[in-house]
Order: sequence, then structure tokens, then C-alpha cells
Amino acid sequence: MTKQTEDIKVIREMMEKSSKFQSISGLSLVWAGLFAVAGAAFAYYILHCCSFIEYGKYTFYIKMWILLADALAILALAVGIITFCSWWKAKRNRATLFSKVTLRAAYNLLIPLAAGGAFSLVLLYHSEVTWIASITLIFYGLALINASKYTVGELHILGICEVIIGLLAAIFLYHGIVFWTIGFGALHIVFGIIMQIKYR
Amino acid sequence: MSIIDNLNKTFDSRIRLGIMSILSVNDNADFNTMKELLGLTDGNLASHLRTLENVGYLAATKQFIGRKPNTKYAITELGKTAFKEHLNALEKLIEN
Repeated sequence: MTKQTEDIKVIREMMEKSSKFQSISGLSLVWAGLFAVAGAAFAYYILHCCSFIEYGKYTFYIKMWILLADALAILALAVGIITFCSWWKAKRNRATLFSKVTLRAAYNLLIPLAAGGAFSLVLLYHSEVTWIASITLIFYGLALINASKYTVGELHILGICEVIIGLLAAIFLYHGIVFWTIGFGALHIVFGIIMQIKYR
Repeated sequence: MSIIDNLNKTFDSRIRLGIMSILSVNDNADFNTMKELLGLTDGNLASHLRTLENVGYLAATKQFIGRKPNTKYAITELGKTAFKEHLNALEKLIEN
């Protein structure tokens, strides 16, 4: 390799390293996807196999609270494992996790995500559960697209896929849980594997 | 011959090239961030930064975070142009 091509390699590397969050671990996305599938299976069980009939008119609210707890627990697990693996990967590459680049990526991810989360809570407040699967998928997809400018490019494509799945969930309104499993489960597993292979 | 003349001598050093690359995609960067990205010692980075500052390619602003001094660096217009020209020259050289 000539000096010039080596120079260009250094330039590109420094530009990317200093402006993009690169410590995201593909393997942790696969785990997050598996958690999502497990959470969805539990939700399916609650919705279709448990009647809670003895609670009478409170049945709906009990199911809703269990599902909300389920969703939040899965979210916490997923965020936890992704953060932990990113920290691990950053440490191995001798980079710091909490740099300006990470904060910028996280900030851009969190804006649409917080808006979507708040909107979902408002829907829950009005006992309007039917649209939640679609709304969460669409906002999550938009959050990924927004953050992808500051991190690996695959997240942009993942974001677009999430939005499409979210729109499909809105069309087939009463199969929300199926699209949730695809969007938060299958897509993460597939993209996680792709990223693991590409960035190992 | 003429193409090689277009290569900027200041950017002969790969470390200076790295510093310019970082500053060309970020509004500014502080000393420690660059030290970490480039994997350098304090003294080594400081001397290269001084060289670039002396030719007017970057500007430093000193400030304090609590009691710790923190120096931020940003690329100047002159630096931007010089870096761009250097990249063009590199590109032409590789094409040939």
C-alpha cells in the first residue's frame, strides 16, 4: 500500500471514529430481540390464555397493567444488555463509552423515542390499546433513522424496516402482537447478526 | 511532479492529518478527546497541535471546567481550505 492510500485510510478512520458512535454490539441486539420475543410470548399468553374473569369489570385494567409491566421489563432488559455490551466493546477497543459522540447519538435517539413513549402513555390513559403496537414501532423506527446519522449505517435501514412494520401493524390492527414480535424481535435478531458479522 | 507539489508539507505527519480529519467533521474537539482518538501522549499531541496552530490551520480556546483547564480546538477557514486542497492532491495522485 502506498503512503497516500494509507493516509486516506487514516483520514477516513479519524473522521468516522470522531463523529460516529461505533461501539454498538450486534450480539446485544440479538439478545434484545430474543427478550422481545419472550416478552411477546408472555403477552400473548396473558391476552389469550388467561381469563382473569374472577376480577369482573377490572379484567381489562389488570391485563393492561400486566402488559405494561411486561413491556417495560423487556425494554429495561434490552436497554440494559445493549448498554452493557457497548460498554464492553468500547472498553475492548480502548474507547470511552460516554463521549460526546455517544451522547449525541443517544440524544438523537431519545427525542422521537420519548415523544412516542409519551404518546403511547396518553393512549393508555384513554384506554386506547389498539394503536399502541403501531405507534411504538413507527416512533422507534423514526428514532433509529434520526440517530443513525451519528452511528453505524445499518440502523438507518433497520429504522425504515421498523416504520414499515409499524404501518403494517396499523393496517392489520388486531394483530398488533404479531407485528410487535416481528419488529422488536425478528428484525433485531436479523440486524444483530448482520452487524455482528460485519463489525466483529 | 506538479501534483506532488500540491501536497501540503504540514500534513506529511499522519498525526497532523488525523487532527485535521477530526476537526473537519466536528465543530470542535478538546485535547483529551483527540488524545484518546489518536492514541497519543500529552507532549506528542501538544507539539503537533502547536505546529498546526502556528500555521493558522486551527484555533484554540482555553477554558476551565471546574478547576481543570480544558482546551478546545477548532479548524479555521484557512485550515479548511488547506485540508481540502491536500485531499484533492491525494486523490489525483492515487488516480494516476
